[in-house]
Amino acid sequence: MSPRFSVVLLALTLAACGSSDPEVPGPSPDSGILVPDAGLEDSGVPDAGVPDAGPVDAGVPDSGTPDAGDPDAGRVAMPSSLSGLALFTGSPADGGWAPVEGNIPYTLSTALFSDYAVKSRTLYIPPGKVAHYQSKDALDLPVGTLITKTFAFPADLRAPDQDVRLIETRVLVRQPTGWEAWPYVWNTEQTEATQATGGRSRDVTFIDLEGQTRSFKYSVPSKNQCQQCHHLQDDTGAQVMHPIGVKARYLHHENTYGGVARDQLEYLASLGKLDGLPSLAELPRAPDAFDPQAADLSTRARTYLDINCAHCHNPKGTAGITSRLFLNFDNPDLFTLGECKRPGSAGSGVGGEFDIVPGNHAESILWYRLDTEESGKMMPQIGRTVHHAEGSRLIADWIDSLPAKSCK
Amino acid sequence: MPRSQWIRASCATVLALVGALSMTACSDDPDPTPDSGVKVDAGTDAGTDAGTDAGTDAGSVDTGIPWDGGSAGTFSCEGKAQATLSFAPGQEETLQDQVNTLAECTTIQLAPGTYTFDNAITVRQNGITLVGAGKGVKGEGTGTANSTVLVFTNAAANSNGLDVVGNRFEVRDLAVWNAKKDAIRVESSTDVVMRRVRTEWAEADKESNGKYGLYPVKSKYVLIEDCEAYNAADAGIYVGQTEYAVVRNNVARQNVAGIEIENTKYAYVLGNTAKDNTTGLVVFDLPGNPIKGTDIRVKNNTITGNNRNNFASVAASSSTVSQVPAGTGTFILASRRVELTGNTWGDNNSVDVAVLSGLAIESDPAQWVAGGMNFDSADISIHGNTFTGGSGDSVDNGKLNQQLRPLGALLATLYAYGETQGTRGVEHLLWDGLDPFGHDRSRVNPINICFSGNTLPQGTATAIVDLDLLTAGTLATEGNLPGAWAKTRHYAATGTAFDCAGFNPALTIGDFIK
Repeated sequence: MSPRFSVVLLALTLAACGSSDPEVPGPSPDSGILVPDAGLEDSGVPDAGVPDAGPVDAGVPDSGTPDAGDPDAGRVAMPSSLSGLALFTGSPADGGWAPVEGNIPYTLSTALFSDYAVKSRTLYIPPGKVAHYQSKDALDLPVGTLITKTFAFPADLRAPDQDVRLIETRVLVRQPTGWEAWPYVWNTEQTEATQATGGRSRDVTFIDLEGQTRSFKYSVPSKNQCQQCHHLQDDTGAQVMHPIGVKARYLHHENTYGGVARDQLEYLASLGKLDGLPSLAELPRAPDAFDPQAADLSTRARTYLDINCAHCHNPKGTAGITSRLFLNFDNPDLFTLGECKRPGSAGSGVGGEFDIVPGNHAESILWYRLDTEESGKMMPQIGRTVHHAEGSRLIADWIDSLPAKSCK
Repeated sequence: MPRSQWIRASCATVLALVGALSMTACSDDPDPTPDSGVKVDAGTDAGTDAGTDAGTDAGSVDTGIPWDGGSAGTFSCEGKAQATLSFAPGQEETLQDQVNTLAECTTIQLAPGTYTFDNAITVRQNGITLVGAGKGVKGEGTGTANSTVLVFTNAAANSNGLDVVGNRFEVRDLAVWNAKKDAIRVESSTDVVMRRVRTEWAEADKESNGKYGLYPVKSKYVLIEDCEAYNAADAGIYVGQTEYAVVRNNVARQNVAGIEIENTKYAYVLGNTAKDNTTGLVVFDLPGNPIKGTDIRVKNNTITGNNRNNFASVAASSSTVSQVPAGTGTFILASRRVELTGNTWGDNNSVDVAVLSGLAIESDPAQWVAGGMNFDSADISIHGNTFTGGSGDSVDNGKLNQQLRPLGALLATLYAYGETQGTRGVEHLLWDGLDPFGHDRSRVNPINICFSGNTLPQGTATAIVDLDLLTAGTLATEGNLPGAWAKTRHYAATGTAFDCAGFNPALTIGDFIK
């Protein structure tokens, strides 16, 4: 990814201070936000009361384990407005929007593409709780964890930190019953984001890297649509939600905290928010897929497929199970990676007969799906309206670099 | 309908692969008799169906459950709080928000009128009912005082109309207009009812129309009744990878495929009308699917005049239906234990009924082996139907395309020659003669296709053709039309090896349905 893209929205990285265990910001069992709901699991009623009554927390230490026993204990009641979560200060309108202390900004070495939206991410782990390191899967995050991802468009992609318009903030919350996803949509005044479980549609215009004006209808996914990507089958065959990006390999790189460059995982560990972290040398690392200096072409292409596609195309994802196309970075099997593999059900014309024809991207369905903007043909299924020129070029280059092979 | 190739591979390729396959099949198949799979299915089914039907189907391939829009699965709303949410046109945003936080067993009541959505209505909850004021009539893209029309013309790219995962789901009395992909897609759900629903795209013959109208997939206990499906660029009604489906009294018109039953086990297709599609009604299996289709009863349907030029997307490979010649009444492909009775076929320009091997669409043996070897067609009983005539005399409407629809091109070429030899057109029943189990070709009817007691047009000489596609196709490719024609075999309706009594045990699917 070009350095231009890595400029973080609204200087989020600068906002977090480097002090150790902070005064507890944001939602906590004491803040009034974690009020248990009426006992209805996922009753669906948006928080009707005052969303953020109560102080940000008086500094009372987390008392015990709120989620022991009663399954609703420790449940985060999601407020009707993003401000109710008390995860950010200021507002985009006044230019001072920033995560509160304890709501830790982070970046991914390679991020999922979403219509060129500029994204900023934060991770909030409740006081007294700790995440457990996982070498391959997403970090094992405790109940009460909130992951936010804010999607925004600058007027001109070549100046990604100027004239930025925030569209939506998605919040993933780890409830006692599992993960939930909640969309919040920003108002035009950029003063507040409001829960929009049904998703919304917004007209977006920006100037792309080539200086061309692009206009399209940006779709904020509905709450239920979040499950399309954030889903894996557990051992019993049930579909359960999972975060996608918070994996060690995508987090293991430096970010700036309080003006100091720190490895993000190490920083989390230093805050007491992550345990089981091996030494830095042992950590897996996914490269920046768009930095030729970072890794070879194959590794970068596999990384791009991993972050963009493998949340469905893996042996535990519904789409993977159906298609038998596994694009996870550690799939060693060339056939299920797509080489000379016919798709299970490709639908209408998608450029070829095989997922990947080595040496020939133009006849590879995989590339076609990434490159096209046609309904019913493009991938991923949601979250993309325009095509990712750089990503599609990366995959084309990679397929073309594979030793040519006839699949007939 | 998903990808595949309709005799896309050259005949030489098919030849080689059939050889390879025959060996594979023979060595792996413990009992290569036509009905060998049936007993296996009966046994397996009893073990895998949780609770309700286990143990009740001893000796029968049908479980005898009278599911008929009722509940046969384990989820029920009985005794639970059942809320109703009501909406009127203009409240689309509120509706979308509430759909995403539904309590189970909620009914969504939609007042008459037009609802315009910019995204799919995505349901992920059990016990949801979606009710409108009526499905309106064909061509109506706006609701009236008596109809509810959900419009998706300007919805997000790649979105469906209704996108549902939830047990005991019912949708009724509404229309879904211009969905981007599928109009109503219900996946991985048990107890699904679609009743008096219309799915439609505004323009006919448009390749960019959505793919499927009514689309239950990977589901169990499905009822589609009194619905209408128009202008789908693939299938109007598509039951896929499902166990137990009733498709009754529906109308499918102007689609590429009218009604499709794919990789489905136990389906009862009754009293439907499939007219003016490229192909009317289709029963088939695709390779690599865990559900092996079997036990399909097709009764009292009208499958006539399916001569719409194929408008499916044709870019490169992929869609099976893009390869179907216009004028195909019904085709049965890689399917077993299919009974066709009481139906009416006629005025289908290519052929009324075609029975095909899976080799016709997928020549890679590995794909079929991985999919449980479900590439054969066997035990097809066609009895007591009416063939009104006017069929088989203009294959693919004469718009031949070797590249896109090779079977049509070959068929037309063969029969053009046949006409010089006194044959008037393609017979009512066509068998491709591809036999993946490699039976001796001296056996006339090795896969047990029965054709008996049907009413045929007066003066019908031959009613059945065994195309012997492998041999005839190879000769035709070499330019040897007389040789190719000589290899095709034509049979009268009665007094032949195809004049047989069906298969055992007989289907019982439908016997228990009111």
